Amino acid sequence: MARLTELAATVRKRPALRDLLWVLALGLIAFWASRPAMSGEGITLADSQILGSICAIMVAAVGLNFLVGHARLVSLGQGAFFAIGAYASAWLTLDGGWHPLLAMVAALVIAGVIGALLAMASMRLRGPSFAMITLVVTILVERILVEWAPLGRLSGYPNTLDHGSGLLEPIKVFGMELDPPLFAGIPADVILAILIVLVVALYGYRNVSQSSWGRSLRAIGTSEHLAAHLGVNVYARKVAAMAVASVYGAVGGVFYVQVFAHLQPESFNIYLSITIILAVMLGGAGTVLGPIVGSIVIVLLQQTDVLQPLVTAQKNISESWYLSTPGLIGLLLILTLAVLPQGLVGGVQGLVHRFRPAAVNADVEPDAGAAAPTAEAAEMTEQEESPRETSGEDVLLTVRGVRRMFGGLTAVDGVDLTVRAGQVHALIGPNGAGKTTLANLITGVYAPNEGEIALRGQRIDTAPTYRIIRSGIARTFQTPLLFGHETVEENVLSGFAHTGTLPFWKAWLKLPSEYRRDRVMRERTAELMELVGLKGFEHLEAGSLSYGKQRALEIARALASDPSLLILDEPAAGLNTAETAELGQLMLRLRARGLAMIIVEHHMELVTMVSDEVTCMNTGSVLAHGKPAEVLADPHVVEAYLGVSAVAEPAGAPLERTDNA
Amino acid sequence: MDAIVSGLVLGGLYALVAQGFVLTYVTSRTINFASGEFLAIGAFVALGVGSWSWLPTPGKVAVGVVAAGIIGAIAYRLLVVPFARSEHDSRWLLSTVGLSYVLLNLLTHAEGANPQKLPFARAEGTTSLLGVAVNKQQLWIALVAVLVTVALVLGSRFTSAGVLMRATAEDPQAVSLMGVSPRRVGVMAYALASAIAGLAGILWAAEVGATPGLGVHILVSAFAVGVIGGLTSFWGPLVGGALFAVVVQVGSYQVGALWGQVFGLLLVIVVLVIRPEGLLGRRMEAKL
Repeated sequence: MARLTELAATVRKRPALRDLLWVLALGLIAFWASRPAMSGEGITLADSQILGSICAIMVAAVGLNFLVGHARLVSLGQGAFFAIGAYASAWLTLDGGWHPLLAMVAALVIAGVIGALLAMASMRLRGPSFAMITLVVTILVERILVEWAPLGRLSGYPNTLDHGSGLLEPIKVFGMELDPPLFAGIPADVILAILIVLVVALYGYRNVSQSSWGRSLRAIGTSEHLAAHLGVNVYARKVAAMAVASVYGAVGGVFYVQVFAHLQPESFNIYLSITIILAVMLGGAGTVLGPIVGSIVIVLLQQTDVLQPLVTAQKNISESWYLSTPGLIGLLLILTLAVLPQGLVGGVQGLVHRFRPAAVNADVEPDAGAAAPTAEAAEMTEQEESPRETSGEDVLLTVRGVRRMFGGLTAVDGVDLTVRAGQVHALIGPNGAGKTTLANLITGVYAPNEGEIALRGQRIDTAPTYRIIRSGIARTFQTPLLFGHETVEENVLSGFAHTGTLPFWKAWLKLPSEYRRDRVMRERTAELMELVGLKGFEHLEAGSLSYGKQRALEIARALASDPSLLILDEPAAGLNTAETAELGQLMLRLRARGLAMIIVEHHMELVTMVSDEVTCMNTGSVLAHGKPAEVLADPHVVEAYLGVSAVAEPAGAPLERTDNA
Repeated sequence: MDAIVSGLVLGGLYALVAQGFVLTYVTSRTINFASGEFLAIGAFVALGVGSWSWLPTPGKVAVGVVAAGIIGAIAYRLLVVPFARSEHDSRWLLSTVGLSYVLLNLLTHAEGANPQKLPFARAEGTTSLLGVAVNKQQLWIALVAVLVTVALVLGSRFTSAGVLMRATAEDPQAVSLMGVSPRRVGVMAYALASAIAGLAGILWAAEVGATPGLGVHILVSAFAVGVIGGLTSFWGPLVGGALFAVVVQVGSYQVGALWGQVFGLLLVIVVLVIRPEGLLGRRMEAKL
């Protein structure tokens, strides 16, 4: 037993070994599953067809998981791309006379292009409109299949009338004829070919899900605002995800043609899309194994008679009011959403998590313990990395005459602000003064109506957020935006620039260079977590952290991109005194390492402690600017915070401390 | 010309159904994907009371409409509220799709797939509009769509329930702080939307016969109409319906029935590219 856990630990530590084992396991299962089909005995035909359906639905479902599970875009159109893949590959082979392999590749390209075009048109939408459009496309594709003569209409494709045969010829690859599971006595070797392709597709799917590319989709699913601030080009990434999902859907269609050798339009109606989405939801949207398990369960439910007793039982009560398979599938969808929102796999994972808390908590020191190593870690990292050159004179960010209106309201009105390299610039002012709006203007959430913003002399005020982030700005948010259901480590990993820049094909293939990069990122993550006092919390769910730790986590994530300017939006809000003091120490250490910061803050003690310059805003414009002590002593600033009466008594309580300073 | 007039008339049916989407979308940010089956529910309930000879036709129609409304309100409470807990929770979408399958399946077993004649609420024959012969029943439906739209616009301005709906659309949190549950507003909206779907179902079934799948294709066209017109304006469905149906009809007359539908979809996509919020929709700029 001890050796077994030791072995498990070794595997966990070596990602390459782990991936290899995963593929091997999958390959063995696939090989085992293909054996009856390869025997070619008549008795295995029905099972082989079901196996073929499972493969087809599975590959479409894992593709849909990118959209529904990760990016949380509900598409009811996966069945349409399945149909496009099936019909396009069949038509190009038979009517087009193309080599079958070429026809299949072309079918995937066609589906990918249509998916990308549809996405370009509709990706600015969220929520129901996207689902509505995909549903409209699905119904339209079905209509075309039913009514367009070249595709055989209701006679199916191919059909005896037009093509002399109702079945497609088996394809020949490398001299081997791949026969479908339709005739007794002929080994259905196409099943083996399909399983091989499926294993490859699943391998790539798993790689992408666990890569920075997958993280970028989960960031989009959590909040597009957040994703853009992680350097992700949200629009392009969503279009890419849709194209990938469409290609995977088309692969399902190609499998289907090879198994059944004949296409009927009614197989590709909206019910198919629902089946695929149910496979994802039932198995567990967003998990790697979920859609794989879900598609096996759903196809078995639909195509075997396991649901028959349920139907009979209902019929015993009423002959006319009962549910058969499609209705039961609908009911199952509702029940899944209600009882198992995380799906079968997500539910099991949750249980495992619950019964293993001891193992996780053992590493977690109480807070006092976590604070101590922070200082050590800081020293350590400070020694390792020589602080950057900080002349204090180099201007990093300039904001000049910036103005932003919302309707009739001028939220930011002609603001000037300069941040020098390695300096901390505090932005204070009463609520509604326009501080967060200014932060949003700097990171490109809105474009200013007037004025300019430049980073190291380069104009950034018209650039999209992801470009601004990539040029070296990172930020945290007023209310922490985290992947609540993922581990602390995953959250920090999402902060690396890789999230926005990793190309899809590299994520899919997972070359050795990616393993190296992943290791470097994980090491850096460990350092960052130590720096912000999160050591020992790596494997906890981010949502379960205390508010103070969530804020620390956001800072660690922001630091992962190695920014030259960090914008902290009210980092001390909701922190207790000890936590605020820790935060102050952390900021001082970061400043010592040459990181410039803008801090939007109400906590004047913290502001005095960390900042080199302070700008006070009120009703959108700059009220005062200068050294912390000067600004905090300015009667106008006091007035803005406390009202007129404070100015009448110049030696008011809040002034005392700063007067002495 | 024929195509344009018949398109305008047909657009009324889609607009009527799409009106329900606007109602539920503005109040609860959700849409009932089972709306198509509510057309069928309205039609079958009306058919069921069709033999009550003591009840005049408007009464029969009312029974169908009210039944659809009540079932819609229940569906909202049981299948939308628990699955729309936050802005990011879109499980309601799938739960209503699931409901659509359950209802379609049930109705198919109970009533059979063949069309059943609805012997009332029907205007027989054709009449002439702008020199074009149009189906009287379709014209009637289009008029109802206009009336419903006007009623909704006036209602939302001048009745307290309407004001509440608009307030919920603006800021549900503020409404709940005023002591009104946005959920109650949602129930109201779903009841009304489902009732309108039921009405559309009865009027359409009188023309083509009641079938369980009565609403399936109308739903798809209504989705297109809703997206074109915009889901945040009561006038949106009328404009979207007219535009969509005219494009589909002209395409069908000129090129063929199938391609009319393809053109309709392309119109949807063009609108999305130019104005994602729909022609009359309000762009909602979130201040973060």
